[in-house]
Amino acid sequence: MASSNLIPAGDFRSSYAADTTIFPTSTSRNFAILGVALVCFAPLVLTEYWLSILIQIGIFGIAALGLNILVGFTGQISIGHAAFFLLGAFTSAYLSNHLPIPVFFAIPLAGLVTAMVGLVFGLPAARLKGLYLVIATLAAQYILIDFFSRAEWFTGGSVPAMANPFSIFGYVLRGDRQYFYVVLAYVLVSYMLVTNLMRTRDGRALVAVRDHYLSAEIMGINLTKYRTLSFGLAAFFAGIAGALYAHYQLVVSNEGFGIERSILFLAMIIIGGTGSIMGTLMGTAFVVLLPEAMEWLSMELKGGVIDRALQLNTNLTFLREIAIGLIIIAFLVFEPDGLAHRWRQIKAYWKLYPFSH
Amino acid sequence: MNMKTLLGTASVALMIAGSTVSAQAQIALGHLADYSGGTADVGTPYGHGVADTFAYVNKNGGVAGKKLEVDSNDYGYQVPRAIALYKKWSGGDKVAAIMGWGTADTEALTGFLAQDKIPDISGSYAAALTDPEGSSGKAKPAPYNFFYGPSYSDALRAELMWAAEDWKAKGKPGKPKFVHMGANHPYPNAPKAAGEAMAAELGFEVLPPLVFALAPGDYSAQCLSLKSSGANYAYLGNTAASNISVMKACKTAGVDVQFMSNVWGMDENAAKTAGDAADGVIFPLRTAVGWGGDAPGMKTVEAISKMSDPSGNAYRPVHYVAAVCSAMYMKEALEWAANNGGATGENVAKGFYQKKDWVPAGMEGVCNPSTWTAKDHRGTMKVDLYRSRVTGPTDGDLTDLIKKGVIKLEKVKTVELPRKPEWFGW
Repeated sequence: MASSNLIPAGDFRSSYAADTTIFPTSTSRNFAILGVALVCFAPLVLTEYWLSILIQIGIFGIAALGLNILVGFTGQISIGHAAFFLLGAFTSAYLSNHLPIPVFFAIPLAGLVTAMVGLVFGLPAARLKGLYLVIATLAAQYILIDFFSRAEWFTGGSVPAMANPFSIFGYVLRGDRQYFYVVLAYVLVSYMLVTNLMRTRDGRALVAVRDHYLSAEIMGINLTKYRTLSFGLAAFFAGIAGALYAHYQLVVSNEGFGIERSILFLAMIIIGGTGSIMGTLMGTAFVVLLPEAMEWLSMELKGGVIDRALQLNTNLTFLREIAIGLIIIAFLVFEPDGLAHRWRQIKAYWKLYPFSH
Repeated sequence: MNMKTLLGTASVALMIAGSTVSAQAQIALGHLADYSGGTADVGTPYGHGVADTFAYVNKNGGVAGKKLEVDSNDYGYQVPRAIALYKKWSGGDKVAAIMGWGTADTEALTGFLAQDKIPDISGSYAAALTDPEGSSGKAKPAPYNFFYGPSYSDALRAELMWAAEDWKAKGKPGKPKFVHMGANHPYPNAPKAAGEAMAAELGFEVLPPLVFALAPGDYSAQCLSLKSSGANYAYLGNTAASNISVMKACKTAGVDVQFMSNVWGMDENAAKTAGDAADGVIFPLRTAVGWGGDAPGMKTVEAISKMSDPSGNAYRPVHYVAAVCSAMYMKEALEWAANNGGATGENVAKGFYQKKDWVPAGMEGVCNPSTWTAKDHRGTMKVDLYRSRVTGPTDGDLTDLIKKGVIKLEKVKTVELPRKPEWFGW
């Protein structure tokens, strides 16, 4: 009976099911459920400021998850992720404004539309690798953003588009406290979907393409199909996240989603750990909290010697960008496996305490 | 245990009481500033002007005995960040009013402002913000949007009227050609349709618009198309920094065109940077005088400037002075609200309707008289057109250059536009 709570010494997994289980022990599963239950109480206790941060982590976490499928699991690269995010946002706003589609359905539909477009832009991946693929996805970024600024029928052109608030069966959710649950639900479903995807044949095929595409092909994996598919999947989650973002902000503008935001998405998965689902959320939390932490720091320093020397007041925005750049470099050098790896090490340390080396 | 609970409850009660007391003694304001984004060149002096004015107000007793608590934020000219800040300001601790900035974010906020009843003096002068009831049929209702100065469209109409006269005075043959230049962005686009319609009405040949980005860059290509199209009058819809790039590139390319700029498109700093390329640009000035001008209100502006520059040596460009005026209008509207039922957003908006030909106290001769009514938020229809004059090399200190007269802003014409209903809201 003890074996259900603790991992036995030695590896006794004797079936594929045991090998691919998400929670190795019932304790870890209970902790996960408890964690989700605790997060459900967040709107009751947290301030609006912290709620908005949690919502941002949730929304960007879904988008980063999509990118992690592409980069971390399939070994492709994209620096056009923000454009797909924005496409999802505009699509959902358009669907709920111009067609009789409630927001509840517009969000998944926006994900599907974005996935279709993602598949189209993923086609070059069938032929291109590495640096050349980067350039192809860069094209996606610029083509889409330019399209948004010109397609007045779709986005309203340069004027920001309005999005309706989220509603279910006539009941309108208003404010961060209510919207939090929508984001939480989407985060849970997305993360469970992807965790399970990675346990299926298709998920393992993606990993095989990443690890050695030639061997994968020899083993009968259709490279073109899986490379393109991973673009579609990445775009799908970007679209879902974008749609959530649109109905959270209630305004969609094509500003702030240029290439720098795409890089930021990459930063999230690099910092969290490429190819780690839990790491994606950790990395997103890190990237969302970093500028806030910079702000707290500058508030602390306000009026002091350092403030006057660096003129933090007006240069805070630049310092934030610099900090993000520096931290990406620092992670690549000192923690190439990301926060997820560090987390596993901390867990191992306590598991073996006090006998860890 | 009981004692502990009792003490705990008491301290919590005290904390709540304390926070409500301090909340009563303060008026919260939101302030969106662009110090790092696409319009930082003009957003920085404007933002400093707003911040300094409120600091000055606080130093001199606040508004109706209450201190202003201004939450200044650099939002980098990005709509999403403005929305996020707005959520903070419209949530738990609701602000009484907002000092806004750009056209894109102000237009995005218009609906929310009306819903939450929070007035906003924006740095955007888009004509779409002037119609409080949507009665013009050309804009959505914007009952809580205000700005100080002529709208972008009205300013461009006045410039075109000047241009038509200029063309006649020069006795040149044929139809003059007009072209609208600017980024594909709500701000430069705001007066495009109005300007082109006015130009056609005045007998201009309207050329297809030319696009150049909000950021400084190499705009030689635009200048070459300007040259080949033979444009005579070009409107620069962007802010100073990118306009300078165009003026410089066109100077190099030898384009013979009369530039007319948006209110944010020219200032003393821009003239210094652009040098002789900025010579002769026509632009509207929102205040009756510039920095150091001869007016009784300039003393107040100088005192305000000392809030962030105790030495008093800094030269403040036109946008700083305009920001002081905007913030002073806000201060008096807040004052009226505080004395007439409390500084809530709804009362502050009413505060804007109380005076006709309103000049804030202490700003005489600096701020132009403005009138806002519940049906028309066009504060003024008067457009003072100035021409920038650069007569020598512009190296060195700006204060010196102005003193020596190397850089001058000279008045060209004052256009008093009629309050035509067909010009309302666009």
